[in-house]
Amino acid sequence: MGIVIAVISGKGGVGKTTAVANIGLGVAMNDKTCMVVDFDIGQRNLDMILGLENRVVYDMVQVMDGEASVKQALIKSKVHPNLHFLAASQSKDKSVLSSKKVQKLITELKESYDYVILDSPAGIESGFEHTIEFADAAIVVVNPEVSSIRDADRAIGILDSKSQRVKDGGDVAKYLIINRIVADMVQSGEMLRSEDILDILSIKLVGKVPEDPVVIDASNQGKPVILNKNSIAGQAYIRVSSRLCGKKVEIKNVELSDSGIFKRLRGIFR
Amino acid sequence: MKNKQYSVKVYECSVDDEAEFKAFFDTNYTLFRDHLIVINGYLSDSIKEYLESKTLIFLNNMTLPKGRTRKALEDELKAQQREIDIDRLVAESQMASLSDRLQNNLTVLNERIRSGRELNIEGDLLLLNRVNSGATIYIKGNLIITQLVEGAIRCDGNFMMLTSSPKANVIFHGVEVENSFLKDKLNRVELKNNEIVITPVFKKEINWVS
Repeated sequence: MGIVIAVISGKGGVGKTTAVANIGLGVAMNDKTCMVVDFDIGQRNLDMILGLENRVVYDMVQVMDGEASVKQALIKSKVHPNLHFLAASQSKDKSVLSSKKVQKLITELKESYDYVILDSPAGIESGFEHTIEFADAAIVVVNPEVSSIRDADRAIGILDSKSQRVKDGGDVAKYLIINRIVADMVQSGEMLRSEDILDILSIKLVGKVPEDPVVIDASNQGKPVILNKNSIAGQAYIRVSSRLCGKKVEIKNVELSDSGIFKRLRGIFR
Repeated sequence: MKNKQYSVKVYECSVDDEAEFKAFFDTNYTLFRDHLIVINGYLSDSIKEYLESKTLIFLNNMTLPKGRTRKALEDELKAQQREIDIDRLVAESQMASLSDRLQNNLTVLNERIRSGRELNIEGDLLLLNRVNSGATIYIKGNLIITQLVEGAIRCDGNFMMLTSSPKANVIFHGVEVENSFLKDKLNRVELKNNEIVITPVFKKEINWVS
């Protein structure tokens, strides 16, 4: 029996889909079977970031409607055999989802994978609610800026009231990823500090990911940044994935790393 | 006012046959001497003269209060007692519900009020956690918040206590409270004689450079 993790943010464009792709791959590299599902129906993106764009035959809506089986629809990653992917429908919209269908699909996936990671759509409407409804845990992705944090706060509020686990009297585990941290800006006080974000959201921190220009190129190429060993964001995602797989990895203070000696040297030669 | 109360024996009768009446009173005179005679119906002059000559005290056509038996009196007393008891019980239950309302009017919350949440509270509120940006608290009673407020507060109570909250949007009795007034560690905002008074409860902590 696996664990279902919904990746949510509230605000769009904070790096949810990138986080899903990288965490999915990272978890797979930790020898766990992992299924990533794109729940952003109508605006499919995850296939491109995973580099599986032209392999999509059946989508998740067709699986839910019984037109295809999970086995037919799943796409195996080219990079790692443990990582499987289920695409969202690009032509349909969010109204095709229903609690019953989602529950059936998630129960089925839970049985055959260690980790099921759901990429939630931005916003807090029905698509989001269906994503979180049957999740065991949630990863909240935020950027260190006020609008992203307020939206995430709202999303956590909805998660705490609409989740099936909460309705059954349980609790949904919530983890925070602070994405796109620019060390210099945090140092100069222009960007919110992680401590302040944690004060506001009060959920467990699972990783800090620094801003890295390599990420954009990696997404365009369809090769998640976690594969790039030189990238600081990639290394951050490796640490996040290891933590999610139960390994004890110290939280690296990425706010300080930029002012390291190599960076300064590079600055001199520039 | 002076008054005295008597218990008087009353003999009530009517005159059908004057001769028979006189003969009856003649024979029982000693008995009727101590009685008040009440004669219902017509009273002829000859009978009147006869009774006066005998110095008997009499009344004509008089409705007398009917005496009650001891049992009836006791019943009445009991009924009265019962009514008093009921009144007392009603009063007691009203008092209990009133004190219940006064005591349980306080809501104590220990949860973070996240963005988008709206709290509507009739009574008082003690909140032991933060109010995040985008959350709103509407409250009729008094309010105490022990942590940072970044959301909106609409309070109509007698007082509220807030921590230093530079980002909060506080409206007290329809008047916006400037954040710069809430500068101390804990501030009390009160309504006194139609004026809003803000006093510090705890002064700001000074962190000495070590």
